[in-house]
Amino acid sequence: MTELMIDAVRITKKFGKMTALDGVDLSVPKGTVMGLLGHNGAGKTTLVNILSTLTTATSGTARVAGYDVLTHGHDVRGRIGLTGQFASVDEQITGLDNLVLIARLLGASPKQARRRAEELLTVFDLTAAGGRKAQTYSGGMRRRLDLAASLVGHPDVIFLDEPTTGLDPSSRNSLWEIVERLVREGTTVLLTTQYLEEADRLADRITVLASGRIVAAGTADQLKGDIGTRTIMLTLAHPGDVTVAMDALKRAGLHPSHDVTRRKISSPAVASTDLILAVRALDRAGVMVTELGISEPSLDDVYLALNHDPKTDADNANAVTQIIKAISAA
Amino acid sequence: MSSSLAPATQGATWRGSSLYTQIMVLTGRSLRSVLLDPKNLLFTLLTPLMMLLLFSQVFSNVANTPGFPKGVSYINFLMPATLVTTALSAAMTAGVGFVNDLRNGVLARFRALPINGGSILAARSLADLVRSAVQLIIMIVAAVAVFGFTPKGFGVAGALLLALIVGWGLGWLFLAVATWMRNPETLQMFTFLAMFPLMFGSSAYMPLDGLPGWMQFVATVNPLTYAIDASRELTLQGTISSTAFTSIGISLVIAAGGMVFAAKGFRRQ
Ligand SMILES: Nc1ncnc2c1ncn2[C@@H]1O[C@H](COP(=O)(O)OP(=O)(O)OP(=O)(O)O)[C@@H](O)[C@H]1O
Ligand SMILES: [Mg+2]
Repeated sequence: MTELMIDAVRITKKFGKMTALDGVDLSVPKGTVMGLLGHNGAGKTTLVNILSTLTTATSGTARVAGYDVLTHGHDVRGRIGLTGQFASVDEQITGLDNLVLIARLLGASPKQARRRAEELLTVFDLTAAGGRKAQTYSGGMRRRLDLAASLVGHPDVIFLDEPTTGLDPSSRNSLWEIVERLVREGTTVLLTTQYLEEADRLADRITVLASGRIVAAGTADQLKGDIGTRTIMLTLAHPGDVTVAMDALKRAGLHPSHDVTRRKISSPAVASTDLILAVRALDRAGVMVTELGISEPSLDDVYLALNHDPKTDADNANAVTQIIKAISAA
Repeated sequence: MSSSLAPATQGATWRGSSLYTQIMVLTGRSLRSVLLDPKNLLFTLLTPLMMLLLFSQVFSNVANTPGFPKGVSYINFLMPATLVTTALSAAMTAGVGFVNDLRNGVLARFRALPINGGSILAARSLADLVRSAVQLIIMIVAAVAVFGFTPKGFGVAGALLLALIVGWGLGWLFLAVATWMRNPETLQMFTFLAMFPLMFGSSAYMPLDGLPGWMQFVATVNPLTYAIDASRELTLQGTISSTAFTSIGISLVIAAGGMVFAAKGFRRQ
């Protein structure tokens, strides 16, 4: 059996009356990526905090890198890297000094610390900015520095709490590449995210958390198979073709629907051959399309498919939107 | 490609440093952020000079109040007290750095490292001590050079040391408060409220006899009064008495209590 680098059993965490985690089990084999998927307030950060010894669980046990988080916190901390949900770098000192600081605290000599810091600045494309105060960094640069800081000690296990939230697509991509490289080199990763796409790309296995409980677990393909709501999306060149196109697709055995502009048609792709069927049918009917593709199910689809009510989460999102509106109106 | 990201194989990793290294490295980091911030640096250096200037100009008439020691210039009366109150203002900022670290997540980063929580607190205290020492030395030099301060012999070195000990002790108190309040605004409010009785309800700016009755009472229970009186003896007469030891004793008790509560507050989640 492969070695488990994270092994959590029936973790429960209560904040007063509020139950943030309710009997969560999680096991992550060495050298793999576990994607922890969930909406705002699902309990992702709480679980990461428990596993990285920042918080103690109300009940349940967890071992990380072979050590109990409760009784051997120090040993755990020597083997993990944590990139929290919110960047945690010292803004008052330079990027280089941030990394040197961590290396020194981990026990590196001044010389080793400097070498390691420079090495990481290079990997994260921060060499030019290394001598500047972190205060002057952009959000993406800060995120990268933050991630670099959690890799200083060559951790066996790394926790990434929503690492790409707020990053632009290219920063997101380069971060994904770094994570993939880490895993190739043997690191075990626990990654939390709100994006199914991200979990799909990086994670070997996915655990879906909703209101503190695990509602689904498996590989990305298993989850998608369970959900089965990939969707064919196409845009017509001429809106006048909509009736012809709809009829052609229906005759091919699909269940299309169109939007109000009568330009975009979508249809659930149940079987893997559905896309080809659609293309043939449209071609035969002489319909021109400007766009054609398959969209992956979103986290919402996962929740829906699992019969979980994302309403409370949506309420949260609404509340935030309201607040932002109120602030910007003021 | 240098395999610089991967977990290190066989014992090549760093798994922790000594307490001494932790405290030194963290202290260096706090001091560096002061040095790297021109505004902060200027503020640190100018505050004591401003205080001296202000008080020596505004309160110079106090030298004519009843009970004022005869033959002592106001600057000589003021300076030993200002050493103590400046050390107090430094102490009051001890919690600010901690709360900032908490706010911007640096503390969480530290807490996920294999280091001792105590060294994080000790480093804060030590960095403030160094900062305070630099401030006080600049102040003494300026007072002698510009404001006509004439200390008696090397008693002023004793007064400096005394002020540092008192500031260090009180610093632990404010650090402890910070670990419990955890919020910059409430902390600032607390500091502000604590400052007035500590500074003005003391013998710092007037002889006790010159204060109204109830303030005299506050001043006699205020630990700063002992420190200020001892500091005056040291600088004006070059002598040391039991007052100095009383104030050191009080400071040590405050420091010990502060450490216990700070450690407790720090562990709280
Ligand atoms: N210190 C705390 N005190 C009280 N409640 C808390 C505390 N920390 C978290 N919670 C609650 O626990 C629940 C889970 O929070 P958590 O931060 O783990 O969610 P999350 O999945 O990380 O959400 P997000 O996507 O917004 O980061 C939330 O309802 C939150 O309000
Ligand atoms: Mg979170």
